[in-house]
Amino acid sequence: MTEKPSSTEIHALRCADCARSDSLVTDLAPTSRVAIPAEALLGFPDGVPRPRRGVSRRGFLAGSAVGIASIYSAAHLTWESIWDAAAARAAGPAQNSLVCIYLQGGNDGLNAIVPISSDQYPGYVSQRSNIARVLGPSSGTQVGTTVMPGTGSTLAFANPLVSGAGNNGDVKGFDTLYGDGSGGPGSDLAIFPAADYTPPDLSHFDSRDYWFAGALEELETGWLGRWLDTYGSSTNPLQAISLDSSLSKQIRTSTAPVCAIESLTNTSFEITNTNIDANAEVANLAAVPADAANLALTRSRSIYGETVEVSNRLSGIGSVQVAPGYPPNSDLSANLQLAATVLGAGLGTRIITIDWGSFDTHGDQVTSQDPQLSVLSSALAAFKADLAGRGIEQNVVTLVFSEFGRRIMSNDSVGTDHGAGGLVVVSGSSVRGGLAGEHPGVQGDQDGNLVPITDFRTVYQALIGEWLGGDPTAILPDGPFPGIQRYDSGTTLMK
Amino acid sequence: MRTKHARHKSHHSSNHRGKHKHRTGRLASTKGRRHRLHRPPGVGVGTGTIGSSSPMSSAMVDRLFWRAGFGPSAEDRATWTGKTVSDLVDWMLSTPAGSSGVPGTDSGSPLDPTGNDTDLVLNWVDQMVRSTNPFVERLTFFWHRHWANSRESVAPPQLMMTQTELFRSYADFAQNPTATFKSLAYAVTIDPSMLRYLTGELNVRGAPNENYARELMELFTLGVVNAAGQPNYSQTDVEQLAKALSGWQINDTNPDAVYSYFTQSRWYDGPKLIFGQFGNFTSADAVNLVIGHPAHPGFIVNALWGEFIVEPPDPSTLQTLIATYTGGGYQLKPLLKQILTHPALFDSIEEPNMVKPPVVYVVGAMRALGVGVTDSTANDYLDDMGELPYFPPNVSGWEGGLSWLNTDTALARFAFISALLANTQIADVPGESAAAAYERAYMATGEPWLAPGTAAAIQSFANGAPSSSADKRIQRQIALRALILAGPDAQVM
Repeated sequence: MTEKPSSTEIHALRCADCARSDSLVTDLAPTSRVAIPAEALLGFPDGVPRPRRGVSRRGFLAGSAVGIASIYSAAHLTWESIWDAAAARAAGPAQNSLVCIYLQGGNDGLNAIVPISSDQYPGYVSQRSNIARVLGPSSGTQVGTTVMPGTGSTLAFANPLVSGAGNNGDVKGFDTLYGDGSGGPGSDLAIFPAADYTPPDLSHFDSRDYWFAGALEELETGWLGRWLDTYGSSTNPLQAISLDSSLSKQIRTSTAPVCAIESLTNTSFEITNTNIDANAEVANLAAVPADAANLALTRSRSIYGETVEVSNRLSGIGSVQVAPGYPPNSDLSANLQLAATVLGAGLGTRIITIDWGSFDTHGDQVTSQDPQLSVLSSALAAFKADLAGRGIEQNVVTLVFSEFGRRIMSNDSVGTDHGAGGLVVVSGSSVRGGLAGEHPGVQGDQDGNLVPITDFRTVYQALIGEWLGGDPTAILPDGPFPGIQRYDSGTTLMK
Repeated sequence: MRTKHARHKSHHSSNHRGKHKHRTGRLASTKGRRHRLHRPPGVGVGTGTIGSSSPMSSAMVDRLFWRAGFGPSAEDRATWTGKTVSDLVDWMLSTPAGSSGVPGTDSGSPLDPTGNDTDLVLNWVDQMVRSTNPFVERLTFFWHRHWANSRESVAPPQLMMTQTELFRSYADFAQNPTATFKSLAYAVTIDPSMLRYLTGELNVRGAPNENYARELMELFTLGVVNAAGQPNYSQTDVEQLAKALSGWQINDTNPDAVYSYFTQSRWYDGPKLIFGQFGNFTSADAVNLVIGHPAHPGFIVNALWGEFIVEPPDPSTLQTLIATYTGGGYQLKPLLKQILTHPALFDSIEEPNMVKPPVVYVVGAMRALGVGVTDSTANDYLDDMGELPYFPPNVSGWEGGLSWLNTDTALARFAFISALLANTQIADVPGESAAAAYERAYMATGEPWLAPGTAAAIQSFANGAPSSSADKRIQRQIALRALILAGPDAQVM
């Protein structure tokens, strides 16, 4: 905590993290103003008096003037929201956020980042002649490559990832995010060509569970869920959001509230053909105590309660603000636009997860993977510009990963079977762009898979330590893991 | 071991709400005396006191109809309360699915399941809603979740329907009393939908495609590791099993008569080494080998058990069930009988402790309200709740368990009931008291389980709701039914 609240007025709005959200709401006339005596905080009902984000209640009371809460609607008049607004203000400036894009099914990184050195490329072609990229521009059905700066011409982007007519259409791609690969200004895309765990077990489901758990076993909590339990809010479900109808295992927590939302419409309980305040009635039902040993009923009631909480906090956010440049007709675009809108609203969101795509390309790989690589690269570029337009790009980092890479040798179905050593990219102007891990080459292990160079937990460790904040060893079992070893000898993920 | 029930352990239990609250005592209301939740449980809660020959309380009848069906009707309760668990389970395991009521429609048109995917889903929901013995459709749907194929990459849709018929024949024990999992496994292995979904039709001599071989072991029959955490198979086993499984193709020239066929020249004709055994194995041999693998019986027993019961079986129960399964030549009916009559099914009988999967919730609510399929409502909300039949997220099916419930699916579950009620004629009763309004709503929703505190909260809403006009009374009635059928307590069974 570096800043104490400077105002004696505590805005009981969703989050006072940034002035932007203040301005959104303070244009409205408060419906009432309520004095908050310090004794009221001392008598906080269930759940509030506990340290969070380094702000202890005692510290809060000692350092802040407990004054007036401006109430903009009855929905906001909860101790939780008052406390949240005050604590968020006490916590200081805007906090860093992480957006995780999971490419479902096992993305073939070897056909995305292609080894083109004279000692690698012939082996690459001979092992996957029916899907191999060609050197230089694309022609006809042959998909070409574009050299990655700063790699000594050893690696190249497959052209679906690259901007410009003939490749990815007239939009921005990975190459523009990657820049000159130096990690300096304008070089904002870090690339790990072969991140994974060893030994790989080639199962979608185990591999996915490991990546989500941040451990080589299926755990009850996700790696980001444990981070939220330790460093997150105990009251704000919008601190971590899966943009989906299901909650990602990455943000499964023990205690911290999190949420899944699919859109910004229909975010509250409603009973058709009535004007009854269903949210209020559901909140009453959710508050009925359940036997903690009955996990199902306990969960049902707590989820209903959190849904009301999410609904209240989202009231007034409006619809998704669509920025230009996103590839059309893509779920990924829609979700990134939703993500940008939520992040821009200052709701205290630290984590957003998006599951996307169909990368399990056992057959007809090129016609399936390439359009998706194209959408991914242009959507990431559009997202970055969108965030910049909202003035928050420097506070957002995007991680892209998949559960594994694919076999070096292609199969006769013109596809690839499950492999190892998958592609990971991390995007954002705070990120030190360039090659953040070596390429393992196409010699392969005894099963013909890429040899993983970077433990995936090395990336997580850096994201916690350098970006989200906190002690990685408290979050990731079996750590600490080897540090980042960049192509240029650097050891950091961020600039 | 990767089983359905093992996944239930993963949960996000945001218990911050309950954590700081003192548990209040059970509400000793006399108003709700007529409600089933206040009825004496009849038989002790302790699992040791419930035997398969004990007479059932109505709570136990409810429990079996929810866990092995789509909830009880008033008639089910009247018929089975006082009968034994064994009686009811025997009936479920020996009665055809049957069908009652009028066939479903989609906005006035007959369902056209091969014409559009919405009707494909509605067609199955319609069968579930109208089935006389709900267990058949319930187990059929379990097989769909177990051998999960998605219409997303399976065409034509006739393949999915044919596969569902296959599953149904392994769920209807009136028709097929000695059905075995082993014959099901072989039938699915060469089923056109599966050959398409897991690219078995591309698995050719000289270019083995490992897709189905891996999932056959990992997801369908063995799991990656055994109970002791040791791998059940190696990458070599995957590759060799793929060779044994090669050679199958699909003839879909006539979409209404699709079949798979074997072409000797596409089959890998040569020795294979699977689980340490050498032989020139075929597809049938491959299925025999995996079913004969020591990890298989425990895997499938746990999967079936976890469909019906929250806590995993204790070691001795597991051994007993495995003995029944293997001793009966992998027959399903004797195993299911033992699971469904096990006392553990009635754990926490006073407070249901399993989350209703969306399909069970949707079909259960439609049956409770007496609503049939007349439009796409069920399809649309199943999608929002995260369990659209024929569209599992991937080959491992739906994760299920506690993961069904999150802030997004809670809204979908609530909105679904609201949509059903919007299509229901609800009459005004002039001068109806709050208590009478609650009572009417409770009866109209099939007298579902509600915790005493929940019943009190809903009654409290009724007491405070305006009732000075017909419109206000109807609104109160709609809201009461919604809160009873769509609130947190309605999500457990």
